[in-house]
Amino acid sequence: MQWGVPMSNADKQLLQRLNELKKERQPERDLWRGIELGLTRQDDGAEGSAVINEHGGRQAVFASKGLWAVAAAFAVVCSMLWFLTPIGNPSASQPTDMLVNAPGSTHKDGSVNNYELVEAQSLQQRQYITGLLASYETTPALTKDWQQQLNELDTAADAIKAALKEDPDNSALIKMLHHVYQQQIALVERVHAPKWQQI
Amino acid sequence: MEQGHQRICCDRAVFTAKSQSEVIADVKAGSKYAFKTLYEQHIGRVYALCYRLTGDKSLAEDASQEVFIQLWRKIASYDGNSQFSTWLHSVTANVTISYMRKQRSWFQRMLNIETSSITEPVAPQETNDHDLDTHIRALPERARLVFVLYAIEGYRHEEIASMLNMAVGSSKAQLHRARGLLKHAMGCTDE
Repeated sequence: MQWGVPMSNADKQLLQRLNELKKERQPERDLWRGIELGLTRQDDGAEGSAVINEHGGRQAVFASKGLWAVAAAFAVVCSMLWFLTPIGNPSASQPTDMLVNAPGSTHKDGSVNNYELVEAQSLQQRQYITGLLASYETTPALTKDWQQQLNELDTAADAIKAALKEDPDNSALIKMLHHVYQQQIALVERVHAPKWQQI
Repeated sequence: MEQGHQRICCDRAVFTAKSQSEVIADVKAGSKYAFKTLYEQHIGRVYALCYRLTGDKSLAEDASQEVFIQLWRKIASYDGNSQFSTWLHSVTANVTISYMRKQRSWFQRMLNIETSSITEPVAPQETNDHDLDTHIRALPERARLVFVLYAIEGYRHEEIASMLNMAVGSSKAQLHRARGLLKHAMGCTDE
């Protein structure tokens, strides 16, 4: 291999390292199972290109219509909240930390079912929001439509969860869900206890 | 009976012992046993290329699966005029680039989820061949793609430009950039 220019010593050193590169690298998990499932689905006449992960869910997510719907829902909610609730740092006790920090969400040795983790996180989020709302029961909200916004965030979270059910290892979806949950908490806190009231 | 049992048990071994052209012929005829043999023979090189192109373990795993699923569909079009490994590498590069395009969707950008593409060169470390892979992975995406395709896979700039939808000049510029970043990161000097 030549660089197409007179080679300096540094180029020669780089070239030497290139020649020493390993030609092969083995994946850390068995990919055959997913491929086999993908072939079976093809044989069954499934449409479009799809990678099947080891849990049997479809990947190549963004090609599918369902996930475009998730993306659209998420985008609408994000753009709506962009001006209303700037993203803050959630406190350490908030349940949204669990999803991103959990070892099972990082990926795929098959030992942890990520979707179970998502369900647990979802339940914890609901309990946290309920508690938060109860604590603000006597505090008037600063905006009128915050409950509608909260419902829309719920809808976005449900759509992302539905996609995660199909593809529990998708880290982009997990981060989106985490982001939506953070937005819910930020929304409730902000409309009930804006920072200027806390000073 | 015993012979029959042995025959069934040894199906995989038979495929392993066959020549590659025989295995490919069996795959074309629809044998999944043969396809698994082909997978076992080539997954190391396919995954290595996917990993270098994507710079991400998880994406590389998914892209490798996509490559083999596409291979099952496309193998009928392999005419045997070139080496199978060369043809498979071409399929791998194209499928992986296409897969990366699908993954790099607008809302990932919006969320600032970076799976790769560190824009700054990584700090120099003690160098060996493993470290070069680390430094390649840390290259900005376009520079990494061009570098891997040109310097490791042997594509010409014209071919790379066509694959990546960029001008030939851009491909050359990205290669120059990648070389500079790698030499800096690996502490290669002219002295």
